[in-house]
Amino acid sequence: MRKQIHEGRERSALRWMMLSQSMMTFGGGIVFPFYLIFVKEIGGDFTEYGIAYGLFTLCSAYLNGVFGKSSDRYGRKRFLLLSAWGTALLFLVFPIVTDIWQIYALQILMGVFGAMQKTCEKALLADMTEEGRRGEQIGRYHIGVSICSGLAVMAGGVLIDLFTLDVMFYLGSIVLFLSGLMLSGVGEKTPT
Amino acid sequence: MRRRVWGLAIVSYALLLALSIFTRMKMPAGEYASDVGRLMEIRVHKVVHIEQTDDIVDALAEAKRKKLPISVSGARHSQGGQTLYENAIVLDMKGYDRILHIDEDRKLIRVQSGATWEKIQKAIQPLGLAMRIMQSQNLFTVGGSMSVNAHGRDLGEGPLIDSVESFRLLLASGEKLQISRTENAELFPLVIGGYGLFGIILDADLRLTDDAVYKKHVVPLDYQAFPEYFREQVLRSPDSVMAIARMSVAPDSFLKDMFVTAYLKTDEALTEDLAELNDERFVGITKFAFGLSRKFDWGKGAVWRLQKKGYLVEEEERISRNNAMRPAASFMEYADTQKTDLLQEYFIPVDRFLPFVDGLRRIVREDELNLLNVTIRYVPKNKEAMLSYAGHDSYAFVLLFNTKRTAPALQRMELSTRRLIDLALEQGGTYYLPYQLYGTTRQIKEAYPNIDAFYVAKRVWDPGLLFMNELYARYGR
Repeated sequence: MRKQIHEGRERSALRWMMLSQSMMTFGGGIVFPFYLIFVKEIGGDFTEYGIAYGLFTLCSAYLNGVFGKSSDRYGRKRFLLLSAWGTALLFLVFPIVTDIWQIYALQILMGVFGAMQKTCEKALLADMTEEGRRGEQIGRYHIGVSICSGLAVMAGGVLIDLFTLDVMFYLGSIVLFLSGLMLSGVGEKTPT
Repeated sequence: MRRRVWGLAIVSYALLLALSIFTRMKMPAGEYASDVGRLMEIRVHKVVHIEQTDDIVDALAEAKRKKLPISVSGARHSQGGQTLYENAIVLDMKGYDRILHIDEDRKLIRVQSGATWEKIQKAIQPLGLAMRIMQSQNLFTVGGSMSVNAHGRDLGEGPLIDSVESFRLLLASGEKLQISRTENAELFPLVIGGYGLFGIILDADLRLTDDAVYKKHVVPLDYQAFPEYFREQVLRSPDSVMAIARMSVAPDSFLKDMFVTAYLKTDEALTEDLAELNDERFVGITKFAFGLSRKFDWGKGAVWRLQKKGYLVEEEERISRNNAMRPAASFMEYADTQKTDLLQEYFIPVDRFLPFVDGLRRIVREDELNLLNVTIRYVPKNKEAMLSYAGHDSYAFVLLFNTKRTAPALQRMELSTRRLIDLALEQGGTYYLPYQLYGTTRQIKEAYPNIDAFYVAKRVWDPGLLFMNELYARYGR
């Protein structure tokens, strides 16, 4: 009986996690395809787009290790929340930047939060799934997240025709913030 | 406790969201505007879509109140920001396009300046009338064509200024002036070919002529033979009305093979079939062929062979004047994000044809330019406009280049363009201003000796520099 309740809670936690991360993907995904237009509007060219994108990836590459280790100690949910809300706040800054260097700075910060999300999402998934059924559970989890990511790109396409890029960033930000709120439904084993 | 933390987070986020939106709204209401070359993407204050005269008056008042400049745009087919300016209120005139009056007896039409030639053709064709002068494509607006003093392919007609009877202009002062060769005459040669720098053209009276049946006569020839052929067979012939020549850009006959298509007068009756306005046909396939031509040299060769066949088939074909003035253009539409097609035009005195073509061939080869299309029209001498480009009887070479949109590629294009302008100037010719602003200050002065007087007049009529565009910003100040 007790075990069942426990399992039920775990399953619901995984569901919340999926919902939250799906929303996170969605929030980022409605903006991302138009990011290039955004860099161009600020006055950047392909080179600068390349730099901006590269900064993001390089910065997050190193930090993946750092955050992975810290999350073992301080709990992964905390980092996922920080990542969602941090990115939500960054999205509020994008509409008001005027210079390419500001985009570089934002991209570095995006890399920081990106690293938190990437590593902690995977680690938390590993924590929350059971050995023996892990593949199945992660598979199911990814169905949800992938569907959302696909929908986000399509929704983004429709929305960009209707709104300006600024509005997209605001929408994305709100969705990201909500995805953070959803993490409250995710229980986490206290780190040992 | 926990709930309070979440609540605090939500409230803080909401505040930050509001702060960001508030800041964004206080930033200049940026709107990006561009023209057909898509090279000059300029942040303008806003674009106002004009439908009636009051809209123009209101925009003028707003610009003065906010101390903002105004740019005027039509079909936006100029390529160097002639219709744009940083932080300007851009008037999009395309909706200001009513046909106000057609006087069939005097063969005059009064139209608002945003009307396209296509719209005018649709209105006058049923009356058996046609334009005296317009570009050989019909997608442009009257106001835009007047502002660049466009020319067509008529042998006996000069630039557009020739067929303008009078027009109304809204000045920077807010005053509306009637302008013709007798009333406020000094503005007439300034505004036509004045790139929108003197005021807003409201409407214009343009001269018409009768629609007629022409017979196409197509002759392939070598470029060496062209000057004499054109002088003796085309210009001397009392029947030739229009003509256009095309040069090969295929590698094996590059700028050597050419075709002349002359349109000859006939006294045949204008049947309904002939008179009916044609729509563009085969846009898809022509677009594809043009695409191959942009990308590959073999594409250029194939297109030239196809054109050869196509044009020879047209021999003796009958066509109405109206249809001869509305050839296909949408196959050239091009939206590649990484490349763009750039137009250029050079006016070369008729007796300097051969040295110009030889020089052009040399420069295009040396600089490895991707030249896609070369057409040649005859433009008789006309010096009426202040910025007249036809100081001699000239051949107008319209060149279409394809280039990458990267900074280094455009820089190379700029340097090559300067070489081409110098070539034109050496031959006593000029270059056309509606395109990229690649010419140097020296070159524009040499090509347009009146340009300083033009700037002085600009500052007399618009001392506050209300009407602005990138052309004036680049050279005028």
